[in-house]
Amino acid sequence: MMPLRRRSILTGLVAGAMASGPARAADPVFVGVSGPLTGPNAQYGAQWKDAFDLALAEVNPTAAHPVRYVFEDSQSDPRQSVAIAQKFVNDPRIVMELGDFSSPASMAASPIYQRAKLVQFGFTNSHPDFTKGGDYMWSNSISQAEEQPSLADFAVAGLGRKRLGVIHLNTDWGVTSKNLFAAAVQAKGAEVTAAEGFLPNERDFRSTLVRIRDSNPDGIVLIAYYADAATIIRQIRTLGLTQPIVAVSSVYSPKLLELGGDAVNGVHVITTFFPEEPRPEVQRFVASFRAKYSREPDTFNATAYDTMILVSTLVNQFGTTRAAIRDGLSKVRGVPSVIYGTMQFDQATRRVEGARYKRLLVQGGKFVLWQGGTPS
Amino acid sequence: MAPILEVRGLRKHFGGVTAVADATLDLHEGELLSIIGPNGAGKTTLFNLISGLDLPDAGSVRLFGQDATGAPPERLAGLGMARTFQHGRVFGNLSVLDNVLVGAHSRLRAVKPAVPIIGPLLEFALAAIRPAAVRAEEAALRADAIRILSVFGDRLIPRLDHPAFSLSYANRRRVEIARALALHPRLLLLDEPTAGMNQTETVEMQEVVADLKRSGLTILLIEHKLEMVMRLSDRVIVMDNGNRIAEGLPQEVRRDPAVIEAYLGHRATGGAAAGAAVEPAP
Amino acid sequence: MLGAWFDYTVNGFVIGNIYALLAVGLALIYGVANLVNFAHGSVYVVGAYVGWAAITYLGTPLPVTLLCVVVVCALVGVGIERLGLRPLHGASRIAPLLATIGIALVLDQVVQLIFSPDPRAVPMQVPDWRITLGGGTIGALDLLIAGIGLTSAAVLYGFLRFTKLGWAVRATAQDSDAAKQMGVDTDRVNLVVFAIASALSGISGVLVGMYYNQINPAMSFEATLKGIVALIIGGLGNVPGAIGGSLILGLTESYGIALFGTSYRNLFAFVLLIAMLVWRPNGLFAARRSLPPEPMTGTFIARSRPLKVPSWAVAVVILLAALLPLLDAPYLLQIGANSLMYAMLALSLTLVAGTVGQVSLGHAALLAIGGYASGLLALDAGWPVAVAIPAAGLITAALGTLLVFPAFRLTGHYVSIATLGIGEIVSLVILNWTGLTRGAIGLGGIPPLEVFGYDLGSVQGTYWLCLVVLVLLALLQVRLLNSHLGRSWRAIRDDSVAARSYGVSGDRYKALAFGYGGFAAGISGAITAHAYSYINHETFGATISILALTMVILGGLGNVVGAVLGATLLIALPEAFRFLAEYRILIYGIVLLLLIRFRPQGLMGTV
Repeated sequence: MMPLRRRSILTGLVAGAMASGPARAADPVFVGVSGPLTGPNAQYGAQWKDAFDLALAEVNPTAAHPVRYVFEDSQSDPRQSVAIAQKFVNDPRIVMELGDFSSPASMAASPIYQRAKLVQFGFTNSHPDFTKGGDYMWSNSISQAEEQPSLADFAVAGLGRKRLGVIHLNTDWGVTSKNLFAAAVQAKGAEVTAAEGFLPNERDFRSTLVRIRDSNPDGIVLIAYYADAATIIRQIRTLGLTQPIVAVSSVYSPKLLELGGDAVNGVHVITTFFPEEPRPEVQRFVASFRAKYSREPDTFNATAYDTMILVSTLVNQFGTTRAAIRDGLSKVRGVPSVIYGTMQFDQATRRVEGARYKRLLVQGGKFVLWQGGTPS
Repeated sequence: MAPILEVRGLRKHFGGVTAVADATLDLHEGELLSIIGPNGAGKTTLFNLISGLDLPDAGSVRLFGQDATGAPPERLAGLGMARTFQHGRVFGNLSVLDNVLVGAHSRLRAVKPAVPIIGPLLEFALAAIRPAAVRAEEAALRADAIRILSVFGDRLIPRLDHPAFSLSYANRRRVEIARALALHPRLLLLDEPTAGMNQTETVEMQEVVADLKRSGLTILLIEHKLEMVMRLSDRVIVMDNGNRIAEGLPQEVRRDPAVIEAYLGHRATGGAAAGAAVEPAP
Repeated sequence: MLGAWFDYTVNGFVIGNIYALLAVGLALIYGVANLVNFAHGSVYVVGAYVGWAAITYLGTPLPVTLLCVVVVCALVGVGIERLGLRPLHGASRIAPLLATIGIALVLDQVVQLIFSPDPRAVPMQVPDWRITLGGGTIGALDLLIAGIGLTSAAVLYGFLRFTKLGWAVRATAQDSDAAKQMGVDTDRVNLVVFAIASALSGISGVLVGMYYNQINPAMSFEATLKGIVALIIGGLGNVPGAIGGSLILGLTESYGIALFGTSYRNLFAFVLLIAMLVWRPNGLFAARRSLPPEPMTGTFIARSRPLKVPSWAVAVVILLAALLPLLDAPYLLQIGANSLMYAMLALSLTLVAGTVGQVSLGHAALLAIGGYASGLLALDAGWPVAVAIPAAGLITAALGTLLVFPAFRLTGHYVSIATLGIGEIVSLVILNWTGLTRGAIGLGGIPPLEVFGYDLGSVQGTYWLCLVVLVLLALLQVRLLNSHLGRSWRAIRDDSVAARSYGVSGDRYKALAFGYGGFAAGISGAITAHAYSYINHETFGATISILALTMVILGGLGNVVGAVLGATLLIALPEAFRFLAEYRILIYGIVLLLLIRFRPQGLMGTV
């Protein structure tokens, strides 16, 4: 990590010195990344880096304007993300900003980016208010308004469940998702029997599960990240609950299999990203990710990868100024995307619509496409 | 005339140990009453019960004719009782002058108006704004504190701004007595004021206490140095194992066989125990 | 329904069982060193990763895995005692507590750098048979954990009662000076205790890792927190009590979930903590109801002569600070504005912790109250920002004082733990009181800073506003410290018993200090909320409380100039260390430890 960072800072200095002149073909264009490299969310920052490096290694060699990024560690802490925002908006090299990871950290910095007219691209910020911070706040994070109806459809129409017990992360994302899910389930004539919110870092869910069990559901829905989901699923099984489990796309990760062990067999997941999907964007991403890092990519990698591909597209199609990037985001069409197939932004919400959801099932310790039929 | 302090049947247990069994005493205006007794006799516990630092299991305390049984120490200070502590509890990080000024806390009037409920808020505002009356009061208290400190000659006057922790042991004890006097007490409780002092310092302290007595102050004294007790006391109470074993004029008490026995008996075993404790040390 | 209650009870015991392993070690350390060891959870993480590495890379069987963990963690414990704590003998009582916080920071970072922040699965090395109990099951690992918890408590009990070294440990716990005089090698005792407690913590790390099949470096704080709560319930320093306390904590959480739902779990745990501190400060299992006696002399803060900064120098610094925006360096200015906001918090805490001696570990809750009060007044009641901010200060002053009021009778470590609990309670109430606070969604779209139509949302505007407010608060604080309030507060800190004997009522003056402290912190939180435009229950978390305390100790307890300097340094240093990338928090932790070691009275000295 260190040698790579030093190099990017060094080239950054050289580029900064020449920033006044007209951009030549080989001049790199810089984006700033504000995200966690230390602290409790450090794992996500590390995942971003892997995906960014992969994307740039692919697109930069042939691009007229190669893209580089300056990654500043915010620990996902608003105090630091606002300082980083000042750093970025006053760094003339930076044409666009990516992140931060959590909503409090991102949205605290939004007023600064909005004032300075630098695009803040919060690619993990699903908080419904994030893009309402101003017309420079954009996001390609999966819209829960789309995902939750899809999840409800899988559970109710696909798996024939009528009474669902929901366990959700008690954060802005988890609560928003839970509310949207409950509404969608109701619209389909089924009901949510219990909704239990847990705090990040919680490990013990046994008593939560007794509440879920006693609400007498015929299916259990998880709105969580993969690490927590693995723990919850293991405890569901050790408590002897046999209802089918359906989970949101953030649960899809190779890590789920590692952390969940045998217990996760039979779990249903929807996902926007599935490595075995035959689309060429997906296959190219998966093959090169495996080759470079010798492990399986997950949704976080895919989203970060998509984002950097989008950055390269914007820079090379619409120009290397901040205004051009802002303009480009509203105009760009059909950017190839692992998650969406192709990406374009809704002018009103400044978000991407039309994610394609795959329905998966864990079988024999592997994710496979769900073939229909009700679970045993 | 009613006694200044009336203690009746005061009792205190700690776990299984009876620290004070049945303490009864009267203290009249202008009198100096000494409590003596071997270590562990319950003298300091009795002080703590009278001064509100500990709650008695039974018995009553009347102070200046009011019931003061189990009253919080703040209230007793307000009534005009001041005390010193056995091991000298000065405020280590406060200057000598500030230590004495804390002693005058219960005399604050201008800055601490006796208004219910919003009193603390008024006090806060007055401390921040500091109108003329508050400034005058503070200046008067300062002058008074310096006057009190000059009781000890030039022991403390040159050290007004020194933090108390930097003082010698004897000087800390002097600061404590000055702090007690700053309350302008009607009753003063002194817990071994000369403990840890050398001969000269003890004599000096003895003079100070004698002066206080002459000025008409009512004093309850715990003291080990019998010579001082004999010289200063109007009456003496002897305690052992939480019980009062003798009371009377100094000369009478001195000749009481029970007192001699208690003192000699304890001194013998106490000395042996102390010796045993010291020996294995490296 | 009865069946469900049986299940909740079993579940309470299962999770309490896990807390017990942590609490026993904490109890042992508290009993001997009189110290709440905030690094305990970090050793637990070290144990988990050592176990994981042994199994993954060496393929060790369970007994060998545990042996590896015991050896490494005991060594870590020895290192903590020898390098981190022993040099602090004779320093102020608060220094070792802070050192353990610094050590926790360093250990967590080292683990994260070596093993990456990714969660790992710990292979199960215990036979996977289960017995059905009520509606659920209990596995072999549950029994193993219970076995190790009970055995270690029994062995420790026997060791403390019947061996010579155990006798020395107890003697040291009773009175370390007296023990030393009696020929006990207290240094060795401390070393042994840290080794044993750390080994125990490491074992619990690896077993809990197996239990949940998951470990990550971030799990240390939660472990420490739960261990401490269990410790308080059982009674500080009471080893068998720690097990009882853990089981009660587990049951409370489980019943809390049963009655009100999962998101109330920790609320119940912390309310129990506060109730215990107020009604049974020595723990459920102690016979004595009152607190242990006070120290005879004030040893609370390091004795020092504070550096005197001449007022012209302060004026020059303020003038220079006011001119900083002319430099046109917005990044620097933003750091400046952040420093100023934190300096307000530090002023508040240096008064409460330094001047009055109530070391609050929950001070960020005051920021949260101020931020939410101002945000809601502006958003829902439509108040102008310039009115909402001072109003939020007053609300925080009142609410903060009221919340801490039950803790006024506590002293020393008890205050720290109580305020830590109160801080968590505030955060959990904000999370759960959805009707008022919008719960986890948080407050968005908070209007930007402005004073009667004059826009201060730019970084220059924010900076100037903060500077003016800070200077006013600091001047007021200095004025108060020079009045009779200052000496009364410091008298309470140095010896609350002697202070009361002279009519200085602890409750009244603590309330005034918390009131003023709440006002300053509330203003800081309010300004932050308007500057950020969005806050939620996580914005002002427990880490900020700890950061604030570090600032105050770095500057010198009670020292107004020191608080501002401490805040500026601790906000600026992590920014200055940016070139260190992933290593910066590690370096920051080490710098902190060195400061505590070599300048325990703080840069400007305690007042």
